[in-house]
Amino acid sequence: MAVTKPTPARRARVILDTMWSSGTGRYALVVLALWALVALVSLFWTPLPLLATDGYHVWAAPSADHWLGTDGTGADVLSWLMAGSRTNLVIAGLTVIGSAALGLLLVGLMVARSTALASVSVAVVDALISIPTVLIALLLAVPFGASAAVVVGACSIAYGLNLARVARPAALLAARSQYVESARANGAGGLRVLVQHIVPNITPVLAVQLSMSAGTSVLAEAGLTYLGVGVGAGVPSWGHSLSTSVKLINVFPLTVLWPGLVVTLVVIALNLFGDALRDAGDPVANPLLREA
Amino acid sequence: MRFLVKRLLLFAAALVGVSMLVFAALRILPGDVAVVMAGTNASASRVAELRAEFGLDRPYTVQYLDWAGGLLHGDLGMSALTGRSVAAQVGRRAAITFPLIVMSLVVALAVGLPLGCAASIARSPRLRGFLRVLAIAGGAVPALWSGLLLLLLFGRGVGLIGLFPSQGFPADGWSGDPVRAFASLILPALATGFVAAAGIMRYTRSALDDIASDGGPVDMAMACGMTRTQAMLQVGLRLATPQLVSVVGLTFASMITGVMVIENLFALPGLGALLVGDVGNRDLVAVESELFLLAAFFLILGLIVDLTHRALDPRLAAGEEE
Repeated sequence: MAVTKPTPARRARVILDTMWSSGTGRYALVVLALWALVALVSLFWTPLPLLATDGYHVWAAPSADHWLGTDGTGADVLSWLMAGSRTNLVIAGLTVIGSAALGLLLVGLMVARSTALASVSVAVVDALISIPTVLIALLLAVPFGASAAVVVGACSIAYGLNLARVARPAALLAARSQYVESARANGAGGLRVLVQHIVPNITPVLAVQLSMSAGTSVLAEAGLTYLGVGVGAGVPSWGHSLSTSVKLINVFPLTVLWPGLVVTLVVIALNLFGDALRDAGDPVANPLLREA
Repeated sequence: MRFLVKRLLLFAAALVGVSMLVFAALRILPGDVAVVMAGTNASASRVAELRAEFGLDRPYTVQYLDWAGGLLHGDLGMSALTGRSVAAQVGRRAAITFPLIVMSLVVALAVGLPLGCAASIARSPRLRGFLRVLAIAGGAVPALWSGLLLLLLFGRGVGLIGLFPSQGFPADGWSGDPVRAFASLILPALATGFVAAAGIMRYTRSALDDIASDGGPVDMAMACGMTRTQAMLQVGLRLATPQLVSVVGLTFASMITGVMVIENLFALPGLGALLVGDVGNRDLVAVESELFLLAAFFLILGLIVDLTHRALDPRLAAGEEE
């Protein structure tokens, strides 16, 4: 180990710089930073308190008092949208953690040395992958009721399976490699091989798939909340705002645009983020990272 | 042949596994089903009555075997709420949902396939960039929002140009006025179809790109005198077909959330509304059978897709014996 290893901080700096230098990467970073910022600000301040309802201005058009108008109870649309960003950030974060955990567990099983274990887990993943997220969510909603946990649970299961399937080829290649063989000869256990040798090989796939799973969790939250099995009633979320805006369609159609626009812009950013992270974090594609 | 047997065995095992999962999640997790069904302020005798009526006082294994045995005979049980047979309810609703899914898929393919080909064939960086952004942006739109936008544009009564019905489905279904029934599915199908088209577009482009960068077949076709476009469309697309079949299967599964949302938005009494309603009402017998039925549908779809993929790609059978 005579070669000096670059510090993680330095590597992160180079990766961020590279992402910033491409247009799509910059868009993703800006939108995600704004999202985090708004979520943080909404902890302390929203234009109006969430529960402040203005009975005289129900279904109001945007004005100086209500920048994005009000909904049917006279609540401020912008305030709810801001507070909702917090819920969606938590759901997206937990979904990424959950699907990464399940996905890596399944990858580990699928490339296990025991052929019986490997083929059974491949078969299970292949069979379950065709079950849609919404069915899992509906199943979970019966015992757990409508809650953010249902969204996180359903998304984690669905995208964990997806991740396992997409990452399997690269993981299998690594698992059958000579360096894994030599690590095993040196007494490395299954977990050690997975973490030290297989995970680095599937990092590009992980980057893309996990940020896509965050994006899809935002979309799933919107759909499931509208169907009544997502976050509970009265909890601010983008799905809540979007569902409320549906009722506005006959009154003030343009207000309908905002919640959907926010969701769309954020999901675009998450999809681009994964691609940009993969390109910037790959030492083969990014020469700056090799020099770092 | 060995593949077929293995795949069918897997399918059967998955069906049993899913039925057990559904049963376990609904019967064992939530505590006492009868209490849930009876409501919050029901008397103890009412709960016991319900428990006896639905046979919930028997051991879980007996309950499961009873339910699964019924499924094998096509008996999906009775809805605890309406007292009607679940099979009849599902059948009536599927007559709306199934055409809607198929129409959405047609829209998705009609839009996504040509655009995906264009994105792969296009040479100008600007056009490629535009098509890439289009694919990403299209996939990022929530189905609810695309439905709202279409309503605002073309919905009768609310839209700028009131072209299509925006709410409901004819009460007498397809038998009364098929044209009106079809018309009321147009906007919903467009709403889910456009979103799904983005996914198909992305997969088509990456499948064609892979085949083109692989050199071989496409280069050979061009050496024989085809233009690049001809070679991509006639040779590349054929080579990509097996992958695209798989993508269509995945699209089906990913579309279903959108379809349920859109059914709700357009007030279509389809399967989505039925299932969501039953979950809301805690009608466990109905939910159990309906969830299993839908899951089985997607397992069958996965089976069909795998077999078609296999049939379309002889290289897989040749390269067997891993």
